[in-house]
Amino acid sequence: MSKTTRREFLKIGLAAAGGALAASGVEIPLFSAKDSSMQTQLNSANTQLINLQNQLKTVTGFLTLNVKEQALLEPIVETIIPSDSSGPGAKEAGVIYFIDRQLAGDYGQSANMFMDGPFAIPSSSPIVAPGIPTSKAYLALYPSAPTSMTYSGTVVPRVGSGINYQYPLNLRAFWKSGLEAVQNYAKSSTYGATFQKLSADKQLALLLDLWAGKPASFADDFGNIIRPVDFAYELSFMTWAGFTMDPLYGGNQNMVGWQYMGFNGVNLGNAYGEGLSQKDLMIATTPTRLKPASLAQYQQAANGGA
Amino acid sequence: MSSVIMEPHKDLVCLGAGFMSGLVAAEVARDSHNYQVVAITKGPWWDYVSDFSTTKYDEWGVGLGRKYDSPLPVQSTTIRNSPTQFALPVRRYTMPIQYHALGHGVGGAAQHYGGTMGRQGPWGYQQKTLTDTNYPGKLTNIQSNNDLQDWPLDYAGYEPYYHKWELVYGLCGTNNGSPNDTSSDLNYPWMDSSYGSKYPMPPHPLTQVAQQFQSACLATPPPQGAKFTSYHPFPHVSSLASQPYTNVPYGVPVNPCVYDGYCGGNCNYACETGAKANAAYRTIPAAMATGNFKLVTNAYIFRLVWDATSHTVTEAHYYDAQGNVHIQPGTVFFNGMWGYNMIRIMLLSGVGVPYVFNSGPPQSGSGSVGRGLTNGYAPYTGTSVTGTLNLGANSYSAGNASGGSVDIYDLMDDNFDHTNLNFIGGAQIGLGGYAGGGPGNITLAGGVSPSNTGVGGTFKAKQKDRYLPTTTGVGATPFAPDIPTYDHYVDLDPHYTDIYGDPLSRLTYDWTDNMYNGATYLATVVAAILTKMGASNVKVATTPPKVHNDWWGHHLRGGCRIGKDPASSVFNSWNQHWLVGSPSTIGTNYFAAGEITNTAGDTVPSGTHVAGPQSWRAAEGIKQYLMSPGLLTP
Repeated sequence: MSKTTRREFLKIGLAAAGGALAASGVEIPLFSAKDSSMQTQLNSANTQLINLQNQLKTVTGFLTLNVKEQALLEPIVETIIPSDSSGPGAKEAGVIYFIDRQLAGDYGQSANMFMDGPFAIPSSSPIVAPGIPTSKAYLALYPSAPTSMTYSGTVVPRVGSGINYQYPLNLRAFWKSGLEAVQNYAKSSTYGATFQKLSADKQLALLLDLWAGKPASFADDFGNIIRPVDFAYELSFMTWAGFTMDPLYGGNQNMVGWQYMGFNGVNLGNAYGEGLSQKDLMIATTPTRLKPASLAQYQQAANGGA
Repeated sequence: MSSVIMEPHKDLVCLGAGFMSGLVAAEVARDSHNYQVVAITKGPWWDYVSDFSTTKYDEWGVGLGRKYDSPLPVQSTTIRNSPTQFALPVRRYTMPIQYHALGHGVGGAAQHYGGTMGRQGPWGYQQKTLTDTNYPGKLTNIQSNNDLQDWPLDYAGYEPYYHKWELVYGLCGTNNGSPNDTSSDLNYPWMDSSYGSKYPMPPHPLTQVAQQFQSACLATPPPQGAKFTSYHPFPHVSSLASQPYTNVPYGVPVNPCVYDGYCGGNCNYACETGAKANAAYRTIPAAMATGNFKLVTNAYIFRLVWDATSHTVTEAHYYDAQGNVHIQPGTVFFNGMWGYNMIRIMLLSGVGVPYVFNSGPPQSGSGSVGRGLTNGYAPYTGTSVTGTLNLGANSYSAGNASGGSVDIYDLMDDNFDHTNLNFIGGAQIGLGGYAGGGPGNITLAGGVSPSNTGVGGTFKAKQKDRYLPTTTGVGATPFAPDIPTYDHYVDLDPHYTDIYGDPLSRLTYDWTDNMYNGATYLATVVAAILTKMGASNVKVATTPPKVHNDWWGHHLRGGCRIGKDPASSVFNSWNQHWLVGSPSTIGTNYFAAGEITNTAGDTVPSGTHVAGPQSWRAAEGIKQYLMSPGLLTP
């Protein structure tokens, strides 16, 4: 950072600013024509830059990911969405902050999930559930029903479906086990080093292993086993969510994910005075790339009567 | 401590406050007798201006968080494929698209639906008889476990109700949208002006891809056996207002659609202008205006009280937000709950005889409540047709109903000869809103899975500028016809309970052979149309083997049928509960309508609209009952 010029430094600072700052970050007139001297302009720019840096410092911390998890998850999300010649990736989008916020909140607490027992973990072998107890309420309605029931038949739900996750853990606890299990697999004889120290090829191969159901024994630091594919799903799903959801959630910073995809966000055609209606966009015969607008920007414009 | 609160008696008690209850409540409250009506719903009142106008543009909160939908910790459901399996509970909402999200609050699932509102044609109402007549033995050959029944009325019997429903909820479209329609060709006589029906508003404008689809349909020869000489593409029939509207006869003003794309379809957004038809913005206001109507929100109905002596429901019991138990007595009860909740409350309350599956065809006395569960959609992840089109346009994230798309009904019903085909029915096929969904849904379309891991630069590169395609993928999923089978049903789960300790519903269902066979055939026909559009690389995805699935893309129907026979259905043609095993001169005061009631097998993926006419007929039946209690004459 110290080698950069002041103006380059300014650009970097703005680009790294959190999504919530995007509007002010790109709209501030750094060199106003009204300023009479270069010194005044530089002072003004400096003040704004310091303000932005201070704001940035307040939104790029961690609420729940511990230091080990931070160090491990960063290269994982950057493997899933690499920063490459096609454009910015998970790093620039701040995906790790999105995941941290989610795991620290309702998502991690499984607040909107049905979490009552009994629990039957899906597997490729049949669930031959021995004697699952009948609920008291069911017996009250059907007094002649047996007090426990047995079943046969394979139950293999689609990964990512609403019935696939059957662990008696909230998602924060599941991620803790899953991240430990990834690191344990990386350090096993198959790969032989922490995930962070593996080559990019090996990192990619390891994540694809999980999708292929490997390793057979995928266990956290205390030997609790989870299905590799279940955690692989979580990693891919949440990383892409962090790249594509509104910046209010902490990822997709500066809307780099939306810009990459050509998505206009909540720019319904006139967020920056383009003069288009959404109907125009709907029936257009050529693609129309607009500068995306975030939910916060949309609300600010709406509140301002724009 | 919570207490028991007795509510004042009402002439009509509506369970739920969605599409069906809204209409029945408005019709009965507006009657000249000043009937007193209450509607009870488990969720809140949603006001589109204040609740949706600034915070709905949020794919994460709406699509995954389901912030306007029913919370799973309060109540879920369990699902399985076969009667011998353990049924797993739905534990979480997922992205992309999934359909285990029940609506919540006034308007119900209409908050998040797409707005498709095409009618079911005559064949759908009499498919059992028509199939047996036209193709003797076919039903048994293609689906030996079928439990198909005719509806109690034919299309002509429902047609007047369709017309009224369309005026109240405000539909847009045209019955005559095909450039080369001629009176000598098949032109859906059941939809044209000979019945006096016109949609109250003109159709939405078409997207570029829809226009190309329309042209291609006209240029593509129909398949062998078609009973028409060319396809009849016409704009999608939608329940989203295409212009300012005042509904008839209630006079409720309706704002038009603004085409912001944050709509139904893949992301299930609520509507911030009220253009998307919903009881809260069409019928509930009319009921309120009478002064005869009371709306109870945040109230969880847990029991109906069935009186075996008088053969009537006497009370509905619900919890309020403080845990108090309210007792709501009434003269008539109308159940307008969504889907399996309608069946669940009957099973919990002993209203009717539960269906019991006994490893074979239903025996005498095996009950009908829960029997005949079906699905409105084909395997969403199964058979599909895709191609690449040299087309530059904006992707439009809304579903087909929110503007822009074109449909053909030519491959529905028995509009083509099925003699040499191994299925009955067909599908509505449409194209228009493409590259659908928000950026999360579109990226994860199909879902990350072992065959589509979402990991690495190759996958990432495919996402670049997906919203600004210069060549775009086009696809169609033929929503093939399901038919009821006797091993698909709803009952109470023996193990899992809701937050109050009552058993959850358990759904036993799998795709039927008829669906797989239909989708496989239709896919090849659709492929021909896509090829005519100029699409390259047109591929028909192979149909997967049956595996335990969550029926991705399902819209459950059936399970609580209206019919002609008390032994095999739950309700008569007035949607009035049969009195099984009781003197037939006494009628119950319990009525119901919804997607879940109708005998399925229809092929329009709009169960709501098919159920709509039922609710209108139920309203008429209820008014008759209030004048003269008893079993209504079919």
